[in-house]
Amino acid sequence: MKKKILQLLGMVLFVGLLAGCGSNNEKTVVFSDAGWDSVKFHNAVAGLIAEKAYGLKVETMNGSTPIMEAALVRGDVDVNMELWTDNVATYQADKAAGGIVDLGINFDDNKQGLYVPRYVIEGDPQRGIAPMAPDLHKVSDLARYSKLFVDEENPSKGRIYGAIPGWAVDEVMFKKYKHYGLDKNYVYFRPGSEATLSTAFVTAYEKGLPIVGYNWEPTWISGKLDLVLLEDAPYNQAGFEAGETAAPSVVVMVSANSRFPKRQPEFTEFLKKYHTSSALTAEALAYIADNKATYDQAARWFLQKHDNLLTQWLPPDKAQTMRAALKEQ
Amino acid sequence: MQEKDTVLEVKNLYKLFGPYDFLDERKAAFKLLELGASRMDVMETTGIMAAISDVSFSVKRGELFVLIGLSGSGKSTIVRCLNMLHKPTKGEILIDGEDITKYNEKQLQELRRTKVSMVFQNGGLLSHRDVLGNVAYGLEVRGVGKEERENKAMEMINMVGLTGYEHEKLSSLSGGMKQRVGIARALANDPDILLMDEAFSALDPLVKNDLQFELLRIQERMGKTIVFITHDINEAFKLGNRVGILRDGRMVQIDTPEQMLANPADDYVKKFIHNVNTSKVFCVRNIMSTPSCIVKDSDGANTALTSMRANGVSSAYVVGDHMNFIGIVTLEGALAVRDGKKTFSEAIIRDVLQVNDLDAPVADIVPLAANAAFPLAVVDEEKVFRGIITKASVLSSFVA
Amino acid sequence: MTSCLLNFPNINLNIAEPIDEFVRYININYGEVFVAAKKMLSIFINGINGALDMIPWWLMILLVVFATKKLMNSYRNGVIYGGLLFMIGACGYWHMMNETLAIVITAVIFSLLIGLPIGIALAAVRGADTIVRPILDAMQTMPTFVYMIPAVMLLGPGKVPAVLATVVYAVVPVIRLTSHGIRQVDQEVVEASRSFGSSSWQTLFKVQIPQALPTIMTGINQTMMMAVAMVVTCAMIGANGLGMEVLIAINRMESGRGIIAGFAIVIIAIIIDRLTQSLVQKEGK
Repeated sequence: MKKKILQLLGMVLFVGLLAGCGSNNEKTVVFSDAGWDSVKFHNAVAGLIAEKAYGLKVETMNGSTPIMEAALVRGDVDVNMELWTDNVATYQADKAAGGIVDLGINFDDNKQGLYVPRYVIEGDPQRGIAPMAPDLHKVSDLARYSKLFVDEENPSKGRIYGAIPGWAVDEVMFKKYKHYGLDKNYVYFRPGSEATLSTAFVTAYEKGLPIVGYNWEPTWISGKLDLVLLEDAPYNQAGFEAGETAAPSVVVMVSANSRFPKRQPEFTEFLKKYHTSSALTAEALAYIADNKATYDQAARWFLQKHDNLLTQWLPPDKAQTMRAALKEQ
Repeated sequence: MQEKDTVLEVKNLYKLFGPYDFLDERKAAFKLLELGASRMDVMETTGIMAAISDVSFSVKRGELFVLIGLSGSGKSTIVRCLNMLHKPTKGEILIDGEDITKYNEKQLQELRRTKVSMVFQNGGLLSHRDVLGNVAYGLEVRGVGKEERENKAMEMINMVGLTGYEHEKLSSLSGGMKQRVGIARALANDPDILLMDEAFSALDPLVKNDLQFELLRIQERMGKTIVFITHDINEAFKLGNRVGILRDGRMVQIDTPEQMLANPADDYVKKFIHNVNTSKVFCVRNIMSTPSCIVKDSDGANTALTSMRANGVSSAYVVGDHMNFIGIVTLEGALAVRDGKKTFSEAIIRDVLQVNDLDAPVADIVPLAANAAFPLAVVDEEKVFRGIITKASVLSSFVA
Repeated sequence: MTSCLLNFPNINLNIAEPIDEFVRYININYGEVFVAAKKMLSIFINGINGALDMIPWWLMILLVVFATKKLMNSYRNGVIYGGLLFMIGACGYWHMMNETLAIVITAVIFSLLIGLPIGIALAAVRGADTIVRPILDAMQTMPTFVYMIPAVMLLGPGKVPAVLATVVYAVVPVIRLTSHGIRQVDQEVVEASRSFGSSSWQTLFKVQIPQALPTIMTGINQTMMMAVAMVVTCAMIGANGLGMEVLIAINRMESGRGIIAGFAIVIIAIIIDRLTQSLVQKEGK
C-alpha cells in the first residue's frame, strides 16, 4: 500500500516536472517585476497583448530592483517595462557593456520630489481640516514649519521622509536637505522600503495629519491621494545632482536583454512603439486601488478605454485580433 | 480516644486516583473497597485507582514506625498524606489530636513549617544552593532571621557529621552525604514528626548501613517520632520499633519485628519475612544491632551512669571522638570511678571481642559469640563503631 | 463540472477587507493611544542610545575585555572581542552600532518583561500550553512584514515599530524555555519545597525559578540573538543603524559595504552570544 502511494506520488512529481520544463521555450516572454504597482500594470498590458495578439506564453519574475537588473543582463528575464534610468545605478554601464538594449521610452513625464498632502496647505472643509501651512509652497519654506512636521521619535525636530535607501535619488534628496539647511530642524528619515513610505503617507492622509516626504508619480499613491509637489529651483543637471534644483522627469525606458530582439522581432517592434504617460499610468493605478481590481482586469479596462493606443502600437491585423480578444468575456 | 503519648493517628484512610472525578464512580469504589474488593476489581469496574484503602495505624511519641511494602503498595502515598502533599479522599489523620485533613492552606503551611518534616528518596535538594542554604531552607520559608537560621543549620550539619562541608556545592557530595543534608534539613525545623520516604533506598549497602546507624543515633538523642518508608525488610526490622506491612493499598499486619517473625498474619507476610532469612541474614551486617547506650571517652563516668540508668542497662559502649570503638564500661566500673577508686580510663574494659568484617557470614562468628562475656563489637576498616552482635541474635538467625 | 474538481471552486471568501477596515478604524479613532505609547517608547530608546553614546569608545572596549575576562576567564578572548569592536569603530560604524544596540537592548528588555511572566504563567497553568503554543508558532513563522506594516500604520515608521516587531519575533524563545525550564524542575524538589510549608510564591521564587535558571538563561540568550537577527528587517521600516547600512548597500549592489556592515552585526551578535552563554554556564555549575 505504502509503495503504491509512493509510486503515485513519484508519477505526479514527474509529470509536474515535465510540465515545468516545457514552459521555458522560444515562445515565452519573461517580464521583470521589481514589485511596484505601475510596472505590474504595464507588465499586464504588454503581457495581455503578447498572449492574445502574438500567441506568446507570458511569465513574470519578481525581485528587488538591482536583482532584476542583473537578471535582465543575464537573460533570465527578457523585458523590463519600466526601467527607471536614474534609479538603477548600473544602467549606463550595463548598456555600454551590451547586456541590455533600450527599446523605447515608456513615459518621461513623471515627477518626483518632496510632497505634502493638499489639505496641509489649503485645508479640507469637507473633512473639517483647517489649513496648517497656508504659506508653504516651496521646499525652502519648509524651514519655518519644522514644528508642524514634528518627529515623534525625536520631538525637538521635524521629520522629512527621504527616498528609499539605495535608490540613486536618495542621495540627491539628502543633499537637498542639507542644501536648504533643513538639517538644523529636521531629521532626514529613511523609510527603508517602499511599503513603509506608502504606509506613512496613507495613514497620515487618512488621519488628516501633516506629512512631508519624498514621493514620485505615477504611483497608486499619486493616483489616490491628493498630493502637492513643493516647488524647487528650475532644473539643471548639475544643480539637480547637487540637490539644488527640481528633479527632471526620469526617463522610464522599456528595456530588453540584448538577445531578445533577435528571438522575438515582431513582439520587439510592438515594444518599441509602446508609449504611455504618467497620467495614463496613474489613472489605471487609481482604478485598481478604487475597484480592488487585478492587474489583468485593469489592463483589459485600460485597453478598451484607450482603443487608440492599439492603433498606435500594433499593425492593423494584430490590432483587430486584440480588439476581438478584448470583447470576449 | 487518643492515648496520651500517641502523636499520630491515622483512621480509615482512603486515597483514590482516577480519570473520573464523578461522585457516582467514587461512591461505587468506596462501596466495593468496604466490601473488601481488590484494587484490580475496583479499577476494572469503576476506572478508579485505589492507592490506599482503609488504612489505620497510630504512632507513639519517640517511636520509629516503619511502613513496608513492594512498589505500588501505597506506602509513598500514605506518607505524602501525612503532611497533606496528597489530599486523602476519605479518613482522618490526627496529629496531636487535631484532624489535619480539615486544615486550610494556612494551617497546613504552619503544620509543615513546625510539626512535620520530610526526607525524600533522592534528597529533593536544591542544587543551586550550598549545603548550608539547603539545611536552612525550612527556617527561611518560615521567616527566621538569617543569623539565627544559619546557626541552627550549622548545628544540624554538625550533628549529621558534615562539619566543614557547609559551603560545598551539592554536586560535589556523594549520595550518602546528600541524604545527610536531607536529614539535617528536615531536623532543622525541629519537627515533632519526621517522615522518611525510602530515604536510604538509593544508597549502596555500606553507606546505607552508616546512615541507618546514624539515624538511630540521632533518634536516640533527639527523641523524634519517625515514620520510615522502605521496601527492604532487613531495613524495616533493623530500624523499626513497630512495622506495618502494606499490600495493594491495604494494611496487612502491624507488629513489632519479633512478633511478626513469630506470628506472621498470613502467607504474604510469611513470604515477605522469608526474604529476611534466606537472602541476607546470614552476614554480620544483617544481625548486628545498635547499642542503646553509647558514651564518649571524654564524657566521663557520670554521663555513663546517667545514660545507663536512663536506658535501663548495666553497661555502656565507649567510643572516641570519631566513633572509633574503645571498649565497654560496666555499671560497677562506673560506680568505682565515681567513688574515686579508679580513673575513667582504667574502668574501661578494652579486651572486648571485635568483628571487623561486616559481610562475614554469621556462621564464622558463632564460636566467637558463644565464648564472649559481652556482645561482640562490630567495627569497620576505619575502626568506627558500627553496632553490636548479641549471642541471642546470632542464635536466632538460625531458627527460621 | 469537472473543472470544479480539478480547480479549486471560486468561493471568494473575503476576510481581508474587514481586517483592513478594522486596522483603519483603530488607527483613526484610537490613534492618540498609539501616539502616547510611541512617545514613551521613543524616550526609552533615545535614552539608551544617549547613554551608549556617552560611554567613550575605549571604555566600551575595556568593559568588553573585562567582562570577557570575568565571565570566560580568558584574556585572549577578551582581547579578540575588544579588537573586533575596535574594527567596527575603525570602519566608521561606531555610532550606527550604538543606534542598533539601543533598538536591540530595548527590544530585549521588553521581551523579557513580557516573556518571563508569561513563561512562568504558562508553566503554572495546566492546559494553557495548548492555546498558547500555536500563537507562539505563528509569532515565529509569520512573515515579519505582515505585522510590520500594521505596526507602521499605527505607530508610524521608525524605531518604535521596529522594537515592536522585534519583540513579537524575539519574545518566543524566552517564553518557551522559561515555561519548559520550570516544568522540568525535578518534581521531588518541588514536593520537598512544599513539604517545608513554602507558599506557592516561595516555591516559585526560591526553588522553581532558580532551578530552571540555566534553561531560562538559554532562552534569554536566544532572544538576544533573534533580536540582533531582526536588525536588517527593522531597517525596512525606517530604523536607523547598521541594518540601514546593510539595506542601502544591498539596494545599491555595493557588496563590500554590505559585507562590512553585515560583519559588524555578526560581531555584535557573537560578543553578546558568548558573554551570555558563559553566564549560563556559570549559573549552571
